[in-house]
Amino acid sequence: MIEVKQVSKQFGGVSAVKDVSFLAPAGQVTGLLGPNGAGKSTTLRMLYGLLVPDTGQVFIDEINVAENTRLAQSRLGVMTDNHGLYARLTAREHIHYFGRLHGMESEQVEARASELITLLGMGPIADRRTHGFSQGERTKVCMAQCLVHSPGNVVLDEPTNGLDVMTTRIVREVVQELRVMGITVLFSSHLMHEVARLCDNIVIVSMGEVVAEGTTEMIKLLAQEDDLEDAFVKLVEQVIPL
Amino acid sequence: MRPFAVVLVKECLDGVRDRRAVLSALIFPVLAPFLVYFLIHTMIELRSQDKDMLVAVQGADNAPHLMAWMAEKGVEFSVATGDPKTLVSNQSEELVLVIPDNFAARIAEAKTSYVELVSDSSRNDSRITVARVRSLVRGYNSELASLRLIVRGVSPEVMSVISIVDSEVASQQEIATSVLSFIPIYIVLAAFISGMGIAVDSTAGERERKTFEALLINPVSRLQIVLGKWVAATLFAVLGMSLTLVLCMLVMSYVQIEELGLRFHVSALQVIAMLLATLPLAFLATSMQMLVGIFAKSFKDAQSYIGFLVLLPMLPGLYTMFNPIKTETWMYAVPMLGQHLLLTDVMGGVAVPVVGYFLSPMAVLLLCFVFSAITARLFKRESIIFS
Repeated sequence: MIEVKQVSKQFGGVSAVKDVSFLAPAGQVTGLLGPNGAGKSTTLRMLYGLLVPDTGQVFIDEINVAENTRLAQSRLGVMTDNHGLYARLTAREHIHYFGRLHGMESEQVEARASELITLLGMGPIADRRTHGFSQGERTKVCMAQCLVHSPGNVVLDEPTNGLDVMTTRIVREVVQELRVMGITVLFSSHLMHEVARLCDNIVIVSMGEVVAEGTTEMIKLLAQEDDLEDAFVKLVEQVIPL
Repeated sequence: MRPFAVVLVKECLDGVRDRRAVLSALIFPVLAPFLVYFLIHTMIELRSQDKDMLVAVQGADNAPHLMAWMAEKGVEFSVATGDPKTLVSNQSEELVLVIPDNFAARIAEAKTSYVELVSDSSRNDSRITVARVRSLVRGYNSELASLRLIVRGVSPEVMSVISIVDSEVASQQEIATSVLSFIPIYIVLAAFISGMGIAVDSTAGERERKTFEALLINPVSRLQIVLGKWVAATLFAVLGMSLTLVLCMLVMSYVQIEELGLRFHVSALQVIAMLLATLPLAFLATSMQMLVGIFAKSFKDAQSYIGFLVLLPMLPGLYTMFNPIKTETWMYAVPMLGQHLLLTDVMGGVAVPVVGYFLSPMAVLLLCFVFSAITARLFKRESIIFS
């Protein structure tokens, strides 16, 4: 379970996130939806402990991230939006490295790596160095890295950005599976249809503020639009000063 | 396994596979001994060259006795034709010795004879020859002068009021060491060059590849990450340093340094002591490089800053090369100066006070930990993680 409570963050006098609160319950997929620059990544960075909020708190499984950062981080699996890899390590070595950093034993990591390689369909690339990997292949490695320690909470920052249909489907399947396993999934995106398809709950942010929260039906009702995309645009534009 | 060790193992694996890092770790240690060999070989060559020197002379027939006297001292002559000044300025001759027609006549009259030495003092390569010809002519002059005095029944000692007798207190090994002072500089350089690849790749490289954020989300203390990276880079630096030292010493045992009138012998124990004395520098080099590396956004960016760092450890070496100083105990506590003193003393076979062996690594390691702690702090800075 991930709980964000009245979190704010400023960068050089500019408010990136203003008083954001939401809850991502266990066994559900929560979508953090917003246009580019809405404050999604900043919110997520405070959530996984790399940015310190100016005010407010974040709790992972009721652990205060600011007070007990490492314990909270050990409950989290994070896939950042930049998909950076070590060019000279193989896909399997990446999984191994992150598993070991989470304190897993060598045999434990080996077994888990094989499991993830099958799950994500990475067989043919598992023992290749990641130099020259396609965007889809990179995403798979990052996904495996993020899931290696079997975290109870998973944060995916724009996971389907720039992916082809096949890889997007794999990502979706994995997210579904995580939900079934009772894991908290927090998913950020700027793609309406992506979120509508996958998420149980949607949190819409714009200009660093939460403008709507609820199921797709509730969002449509709130905006008084039949189409979710229209509803999204309407809600987002409400807070943008003209 | 501690997270520190996990990072260490990963960085070593990454480093060994990095051709750029491996090359920079190995090229210098392999190249330096060749340079040592080449330098000493050239010194020996220069020495043996002045045994048989070729001098261009104009008017040799005017002074057959002087020619014969110089030939006895190992000088060979060639005949210079044309304007001597042109010959020297267009570099076809190093120097030209011009003997005028009245040379013999003036000597016979017991008057001062003049010879003209045409040379170009802006040319480094001719300086030794010019100095040697000058001293030969002076030698001939004083020999003839003495004979003139004896003929007149005066002792030649009348002319020599004071004579200097050279007396050397430095041991042969110490003289050799001062001649070979470029070897410690090479070893220090090796420490800075060999670990640089990994030190930069694991800091600036991590930012460039955008892997930094994902790494820091792991539940591991920043200090452990920094220590792992630091020790990995240091291992490379130590490897490069040891290789340079051992290969240099190996080359020294092959080269005929006796030809320079020097004696140089270093035992295996001394090599080990030298290695131990300089080992802390490897830690210092990589900790400084990581600190600089973490400020840089890319490998290239980092390299342009780190170039200046290499100059730092060379300062004490260069300074003492031109301004010999008397070693005081506190000097061992000055990072880099301490290592330089230890290295030259051990190489020269001079006894080092035991406190020196402790003081110098302690001072350096303290500085290292300060640098690493600052680096670990920077690992928390938002502007560095996300840029």
